[in-house]
Amino acid sequence: MMSEPGPQDQPAEAMVDLLIKQVTEGLAPDEQRALDVLDSAVASAHLREFERAAAAVTLAGSANREALPADLAERVARQADAHFAALAGSGGGATVTGLAAARGAAARPPASAPSRSGAYGWLAAAACLVLAVLAWNRSPAPSPPVAELAPPPAAPTPPIAPAAPPSAAQQRALLLAKPDSLKVTFGATKDPAAAGVSGDVVWDPVTQRGFLHFVGLAPNDPVLRQYQLWIFDGGRDERYPVDGGVFDIPANTTEAVIPIHAALPVLSAKAFAVTVEKPGGVVVSGREHVVVLGAAG
Amino acid sequence: MNPSVLQRIASGDSAAVRECIEQYGALVWSLARRLSRSPSDAEDATQEIFLDIWRSAGRFDASQGSDKVFIAMIARRRLIDRLRKTSAEPPMDPVEVLEAVAWADPGRAPETSLEAEQAARAMAELRPEQRQVLELGLLHGLTQSEIAARLQMPLGTVKSLMRRGLITVRKYMNIDADGVLSEG
Repeated sequence: MMSEPGPQDQPAEAMVDLLIKQVTEGLAPDEQRALDVLDSAVASAHLREFERAAAAVTLAGSANREALPADLAERVARQADAHFAALAGSGGGATVTGLAAARGAAARPPASAPSRSGAYGWLAAAACLVLAVLAWNRSPAPSPPVAELAPPPAAPTPPIAPAAPPSAAQQRALLLAKPDSLKVTFGATKDPAAAGVSGDVVWDPVTQRGFLHFVGLAPNDPVLRQYQLWIFDGGRDERYPVDGGVFDIPANTTEAVIPIHAALPVLSAKAFAVTVEKPGGVVVSGREHVVVLGAAG
Repeated sequence: MNPSVLQRIASGDSAAVRECIEQYGALVWSLARRLSRSPSDAEDATQEIFLDIWRSAGRFDASQGSDKVFIAMIARRRLIDRLRKTSAEPPMDPVEVLEAVAWADPGRAPETSLEAEQAARAMAELRPEQRQVLELGLLHGLTQSEIAARLQMPLGTVKSLMRRGLITVRKYMNIDADGVLSEG
């Protein structure tokens, strides 16, 4: 069984209150910034414990459970098939250059407008980008329901782990050699995670596959934060960049290649952005932490 | 020990996906219903939660807790995220008409996990006002401010009750099945 952080690691009351608020209702951007400056190792350990306690209380208080409706269960199963088929089609999803995991992206449902403070930071960072990126700051209209956004139906049998696919670095090299692939160089923002980072993205519009490549991107603690990719598609509403999935940079990683798993078909990739978000990613980015941006020439 | 359904999903066992839906569908759906603003919202949330589960299965570590708690954690994260991004209205009726919470009966509810039994014991030990604040916050999705308004308590009191209550639950959860407190 998991053990608690030691007495020497007991956090201040203010940190505990922030952690509990994060676990019970989520934090406002200013509260998130306040937590970010605290000791991340201690915060991470305690956050895990509080999340676990909250989940256990939730389980204990949910003894009477209503069965999942059959039609919804079927939709969930179909979505799972599509998800794993997409992962298998992209070479198994995860791997490379010491990278822990790059998980596939998925359809995201409606959400409200981003905060003004976040929008300001994003605007400043994106000033040199295409209109599609700038338009992301405007209040989004309701997006279609999940079912409509789900990837197209795939083969019913979900093969998850193909045998020994080429590494992501090898696949990226092949994609870079293709004349039709899109190559975009990232520019770093002033976000702390972007200090000293360089990177690029290669994207094949035909196969809908691509790879991120970073040197010097700061490692993240996946319990606290994950990186999330956004793809601005010229063929879609500019306010809704396609969710490109979340990924991690493990400690002591200097160079990483990350396969992209776009949730939706990207008709015409115009720009790419990476933000720092809560574990699992978000429906709509608050854009408080935009790490890199890159626009197609 | 046999691998859990999450470990099997992570290792590429496609049959485990259906098993997971069958095994945890009621849990996810019940949480989504409770912490969503409408049935259609709960359906969207359920689909999102299961996608998160597929994505996160590789991170499940049985030494850190049970698969049930792992799935409940994922569900809570997604539902809280959705609640924050929708309207300011709380996801439920006024406190007077809240549905009664059905607590697991420690030792008599095989479908629950050890952690849930420990949490149920801890909740039973809490002062009534601590338990009420945790129920409203964790099981009904009210924010601390909403709890303060509904119970007519100062916000600081709500924070304090929630902090002490959750710390007590944490302590109970680090007591193993033999009653031994795990050391850091």
